[in-house]
Amino acid sequence: MHFSIFRYNPEHDEKPYMQDFQVDLQPTDAMLLDVILRIKNFQDDSLTIRKSCREGVCGSDAININGRNGLACVTRVRELKEPVELRPLPSFPVIRDLVVDMTRFWKQYHSIKPYLINDEPAPEKERLQSPEDREKLNGSYECIMCACCTSQCPSSWWNPDKFVGPAGLIQAYRFVSDSRDRATQERLDDLNNDPYRLFRCRTIMNCTEVCPRGLSPSRAIERIRLRMLNVEGHGGGLALHRVPTIK
Amino acid sequence: MRKNFTGLLAWLVQRITAVYMLLFIVFLLAHFLVDPPHSYPAWHGWMMGSSVSIATVVFFAALLAHAWVGVRDVILDYVHAMVFRVGLLVLLGFGLTALGVWVMRILWMERA
Repeated sequence: MHFSIFRYNPEHDEKPYMQDFQVDLQPTDAMLLDVILRIKNFQDDSLTIRKSCREGVCGSDAININGRNGLACVTRVRELKEPVELRPLPSFPVIRDLVVDMTRFWKQYHSIKPYLINDEPAPEKERLQSPEDREKLNGSYECIMCACCTSQCPSSWWNPDKFVGPAGLIQAYRFVSDSRDRATQERLDDLNNDPYRLFRCRTIMNCTEVCPRGLSPSRAIERIRLRMLNVEGHGGGLALHRVPTIK
Repeated sequence: MRKNFTGLLAWLVQRITAVYMLLFIVFLLAHFLVDPPHSYPAWHGWMMGSSVSIATVVFFAALLAHAWVGVRDVILDYVHAMVFRVGLLVLLGFGLTALGVWVMRILWMERA
C-alpha cells in the first residue's frame, strides 16, 4: 500500500515535505496505527507520532487521514484510498512530523472551568444524583479530548484564541447539565457575554462529522443556546451517532 | 460593540427576523397569486393601506436588523485587527441606517 506522510523536523528542515512509503500489508495489519508503527520500525525510525492505548480511548493518535481527522488506531487501513495521505491535525503548530502543539486546545478547555463547582458542605458520602440526572451527562462525558473536532472547525481556524471550540463547548455542556453543579448561570453568562466564546459557531457540523466517539458537539452547543433561553430541551442525554468510515 | 447586543440576543434577533420576513414574503406572494392588483393605483392603494404599510415597515426594519447581525458575524470572524474591525462595523452601521432612511422616505413619500 502506498502512503504519503507529512514530514517536518524544525531542527533539520526548512519547510515541511511529504515522504512516500510503500508497505506490504501483513494479515495482522488491521488499523492504520499498525502500519505507521511498521513504517517506523522497519523503514524510517525518525517518523514521529503520538500513540498510547491503541484502542481509541486515549485520543493521542489523532491525525488527518486523507483530509479527515480521525484516530489512527481505529481507522481500518485496507479501506483507505491510495495514496494514503497522513498529515498532522490542521491549524495546530507542528512540533514534529505528525505531532502538534495542543497548548491552545488545553487553554480553551481550562477556560470553561471543567470541574464541579459546588460550595455546599460536603455530604458524608457522595453528592447524590438520580439515574435520570446521570443520563443527562450521556453523550458529553465520553469525550476523549483528541481534538479531531476542534481542529476541523473553520470557526476555530479563524479565531483559535477566542472561540472555545467544539471540544471545550461540549465539556461546558457536560457541566451545565450536571445536577450537582451550582454555577450553571455563571457558566452560561461566561459563554454569552463575549460574542466570540460560543457564538462563532455557525453550525457547520464538521465537529460532529469527524468525532471518533460518535459525539455531537453541534447538538451540545444548540442545547447550551436553549439553556441560555431557559429552555430545558429534551432532558435526557445526547445520542451518539455512528462514526462514518474514513476512506 | 455594545455589550448588550452580543451573543444570545444577536443570535435570537437573526432567527426571529428571518421567521417574520419569511411569513411576510409568503403572504405577499400568496396575495399576488390569489388577488393580483391590475393597475398601479390598485397596487398602490393596497400596499399603502394602513395594515400592509405597517407590516412593510416592520419587514424592512427586520431586514436591516438581520443584515446587521449577518454581516457583523462575517466581520467578527475574519477581521482581527481592532481598528479595522471597529471601522468596518461603523461603516456597516452607517450604511444600513442610510438604507433604512431611504426606505422610509420611499414609503412615506408614496403616502404623501
